[in-house]
Amino acid sequence: MAEHEVASGPWQEPETTIYRGMACGGTGGELSAIDSKDGKVVRIRPIRYTDEYSMDELKDSLWSFTARGKTLKCPVKTAPPYQSLAYKKRIYSKNRVKYPLKRVDWEPGGDPDKINAENRGKSKFVRISWDEACDIIADEIKRVRKTYGENSVLAVGEDGHCQSKIIHMVGGNHINLLMRTGGFTREVRTPDSVEGFYWGAKFAWGAQVQAGLGMFDNGWNVIEDVTKNADMVIMQAGDLETTQNYASQWMSRVMRFWMDIGIKLVVVDPFCTYTSVCHDEITWIPLLPNTDVALDYGMMYVWLTEGLYDVNYVETHTYGFDKLKAYVLGEEDGIPKTPKWASEICGVEPWTIKALAREWGTKTTSILHYCGCHVRGPYSHEPGRTEVYKLALQGFGAPGVQQIHLFSYGGGKQAVRPTPYGPMMFSEMHAMQFYPADQTIPRTLVARSIQNGHSDWWGSPQIIFAMPDEQFEHNFYPIEEDEGGAKVHMLWSEKPCNQTCWNGGFEFQEAMRNKDLECVITNHPWLENDSLFADLVLPVTTPAEESDIVGSGMGDSIEVVAVQDAAIPPVGESLSDYEISLKIAERFDPELPKQMAEGRIEGEPAFGLTIEQQKKSEYERSPIVSEIGWEELKAKGFYVPKQDPYAKDYKPNARLFYEDPESFPVGTPSGKIEFYSDQLEENFPDDKERQPLAKWIVGGPESEGWTHDETLAGERAKKYPFLVNACTGRWRFHAQCDDITWHREIPTAKVVGKDGYLYEPCWMSPEDAKKQGIEDGDIVKVYNERGTVLCGAKVSERILPQSVMVNKGSRSDPIASEFDRGGNINLISPAGPISKHCYGFAVSGYLVDVQKVSDEEMAGWVKQYPEAFERAYDPASGSHYDGWVEGVE
Amino acid sequence: MKAFLVDLNKCVGCYDCQIGCKDEHCGNCWMPYAESQPDTGQFWLHLYETEHGARPHVKVSYVPVMCQHCENAPCIKAAKDDAVYQREDGLVIIDPEKAKGQKQIVDACPYKAIFWNEELEIPQKCTGCAHLIDRGHPISVPRCVDNCHLDAIQFGEESELDLADTERLKPEFGLKTRVYYRGLPKRFVAGKVYDPEIEEVVTGATVTAKSPSGSWTVKTDAFGDFWLRNLPEEELELTIHGGGKSYKGNVSTKEKSIGMGNIALK
Repeated sequence: MAEHEVASGPWQEPETTIYRGMACGGTGGELSAIDSKDGKVVRIRPIRYTDEYSMDELKDSLWSFTARGKTLKCPVKTAPPYQSLAYKKRIYSKNRVKYPLKRVDWEPGGDPDKINAENRGKSKFVRISWDEACDIIADEIKRVRKTYGENSVLAVGEDGHCQSKIIHMVGGNHINLLMRTGGFTREVRTPDSVEGFYWGAKFAWGAQVQAGLGMFDNGWNVIEDVTKNADMVIMQAGDLETTQNYASQWMSRVMRFWMDIGIKLVVVDPFCTYTSVCHDEITWIPLLPNTDVALDYGMMYVWLTEGLYDVNYVETHTYGFDKLKAYVLGEEDGIPKTPKWASEICGVEPWTIKALAREWGTKTTSILHYCGCHVRGPYSHEPGRTEVYKLALQGFGAPGVQQIHLFSYGGGKQAVRPTPYGPMMFSEMHAMQFYPADQTIPRTLVARSIQNGHSDWWGSPQIIFAMPDEQFEHNFYPIEEDEGGAKVHMLWSEKPCNQTCWNGGFEFQEAMRNKDLECVITNHPWLENDSLFADLVLPVTTPAEESDIVGSGMGDSIEVVAVQDAAIPPVGESLSDYEISLKIAERFDPELPKQMAEGRIEGEPAFGLTIEQQKKSEYERSPIVSEIGWEELKAKGFYVPKQDPYAKDYKPNARLFYEDPESFPVGTPSGKIEFYSDQLEENFPDDKERQPLAKWIVGGPESEGWTHDETLAGERAKKYPFLVNACTGRWRFHAQCDDITWHREIPTAKVVGKDGYLYEPCWMSPEDAKKQGIEDGDIVKVYNERGTVLCGAKVSERILPQSVMVNKGSRSDPIASEFDRGGNINLISPAGPISKHCYGFAVSGYLVDVQKVSDEEMAGWVKQYPEAFERAYDPASGSHYDGWVEGVE
Repeated sequence: MKAFLVDLNKCVGCYDCQIGCKDEHCGNCWMPYAESQPDTGQFWLHLYETEHGARPHVKVSYVPVMCQHCENAPCIKAAKDDAVYQREDGLVIIDPEKAKGQKQIVDACPYKAIFWNEELEIPQKCTGCAHLIDRGHPISVPRCVDNCHLDAIQFGEESELDLADTERLKPEFGLKTRVYYRGLPKRFVAGKVYDPEIEEVVTGATVTAKSPSGSWTVKTDAFGDFWLRNLPEEELELTIHGGGKSYKGNVSTKEKSIGMGNIALK
């Protein structure tokens, strides 16, 4: 299909319109309408609930509240993320995988001379049939298990962000098949969005939300509480205009409302964020990446020395204040953490630190973030904890003193009730996410586990359901042989972006080239990132091509149920991950697909429910069954559930703890917020990186027992003098949407190189650019000892000297080993853990150097790597399918 | 007469308008109103993005510019065979069939809102999504308006829109445009005022800019910051008084807005 082969001809009056959440966060997203004609998408647009319901019918469904004389109402018109609104370019991307593909120089069977593992990421693919692909996969699973043990197949990508689907949910369908036909090794997701809270804050205020993520429980009514009571909201690494696109753009309205009623917004961030630049009212306080701990302590010094903290609260609600005080005042180490001390580390002038501290200490202040980079760098457990300390010193839980986080953006009071998005019965049946397995490997350790053949780590690095105590458990791969231990020799990924979204990407690429991996399979709609390193690539449908029951969920103004037919037929021969798993299952047992469809265990009767039957069943299990009939729901396409009459009773965040800490303790051993963790002291007495009290940690050489030397104060900074801020990009969602032609022509999305290639921007200050002899638009190399990625210089006042910003998520465009043209910055991120006992990722706030690429240097590379530079490339959409597949017409 | 009202105070720079325009017109042919827009390179609605100021006083302006649907449209005059016409409702439309080969129509627009389609050899531009307005289904407003999640772009009868405090883009062209803007970017001078001796910001300091055309005064806020907004493009004399100390200097807004960074009082 040609890229432009979409609806054409006069009067594209849509024949069909379907409503569905299309956000790339994976949890639905505010509804969009997809208008289609002749099997092609005409347009994707926001909808109004009044398109199908009268305001009278909606009156019990839409929420509103009044604060300081103004009323904030649930919008009637949806605000889908701009990624959803441009999704036509994803559906018809030049980079769509249309057919099953096999790498040209790979043969199944495990013969080292025929798998050519070293050519992964270099050699091209050819089209094969579904029958051939499924036969190979079934045979390889059986062969690898027989040869190396039942658990020798590694299932990657059970959970993470992706296209929003329920029946066809991405991630874990392969597990559904593998667990029913034998064993597997489970790659478990690490708490990537919230590393600092997970590994740090948990030891200050307990496990908290979703039984272990580390942000405070109960996000309901937080927005209302802040709106009514806060004077100031600090966005310390939270660029809502960018990251809210997880689901919706509705928080733009909330922020406007806040400013209109006089709430002061302050952005504390290494980058002058997209939120900061678009409002006159917002104050930007720039700081160097991953130095938040120093700033926080500088402020706490002001609070403690000027009495600007809640003395009574500290007495009744916290534990270990004397230890905190001793560190802050320098009684512990002889270094008072004054604003001047902080300034030298974080780059914020002492007078600004004092001013911010006094404002914060005298005004009712909430913190807002959205998985920002301050909790995703080396030693991120430290800023994760100092955030808690700041809140505790200011009476956390009091009206307007809140932590606004990922789970507290729901506007609707109705959101407190279960919705069809909540139960997700069939997604749980098909997509076996968080399903226990005997042998596991954390996502952050996949590369090293493959390369070394073994690994060990502390904790249960599963994104949820992991309590603080579990971090004291030592785990190993492989497990004992008699318990099912087996080294992995086959990898099957349903979310092939490990090298782009996780740590040490170049190490991951090398691991993919390990000959021990005899078969690598990916399922994905687009030919990108880890798929380039696969032996078999299976084409997957996008949401527009699937019949499903996807409404809006987490992070939206309101949770809405929607049920939809496919808007268009599948592109090429693509199938959903769910359908793929059934197709392969037939090779094991003709009855197996039926059981898989219904989540039946062996011996239970299974009927092989159709997609339509599953949708209806999903509805029947949901609470809206008493509010709307199935036929009416289908006819209207969506339904806005009624408000929960008891919604007001849900106290926001820590209000109960604030009001009565004895009756409603937090989940720490003392029941109070702990500045000092006896738990950490007892279990890891020699851990100098994560001590019982959070500290500013510089790190140092590995020989001295440090995990990182990634600050400007360390030795490595002499060689790599820039701290890179690698937060999520405005025009992508993690690794998604990098091929949207309409985004790529936006000036902040890409930099047009003199060779016509669209490079990922490397933002740098005018001062640093001048020092490095770099001009805006130059091709630059961003590198450290882990490798080199090429970028385009974006010289801007939005960034501090000594730091650069390269947003994570740009697609790999491999040139050679440890050399990438696509600007995929995570390729050169540290491959190791956050700190010794915390195997999360450290993917922002690390050191790089940036140099201009001269014409001679570029010409040399072009000569040295002709195949990579000659690969088919389209500036409009970037590297694509034709460059990697042989025999494309 | 139909008109657009663009309120830039509401805009957050999400590009929903530019993307909506492309979603409506790229790969979709709406003859006789418009042929399909090429996938990239044309911007029937172009969101112009400009960075202003200097660290830490940095703002970005986003100004959507589409066909201004001028009452005195120069493209109509430049066209032969009535290839460009004004409808009764005021929307200016290029007839793709009649306009074939008429490249001079592109050059006639001082707003650079008309684009040349090399493949089809036709000039192309915003139609006000007349195909949607006439049809009334599934939406009855231009896509840029429908896509905007903050109602920053409105469309309607010129007489019914609230045009208070709005301006036209480049009124000096004298084309009586029908796109009205509220909050177009104006020059600012910003700075952070501090006392170097005590290393404290100076709050409540009086900051005054003077020029032959007037004088503007603000106070520094809790962070020592001041923002003098809506300034003329002139040489300005800047005086600051606070905490018993002062600053005096000159600043020019002729070229651009100015972020002065930290300003020490003596």
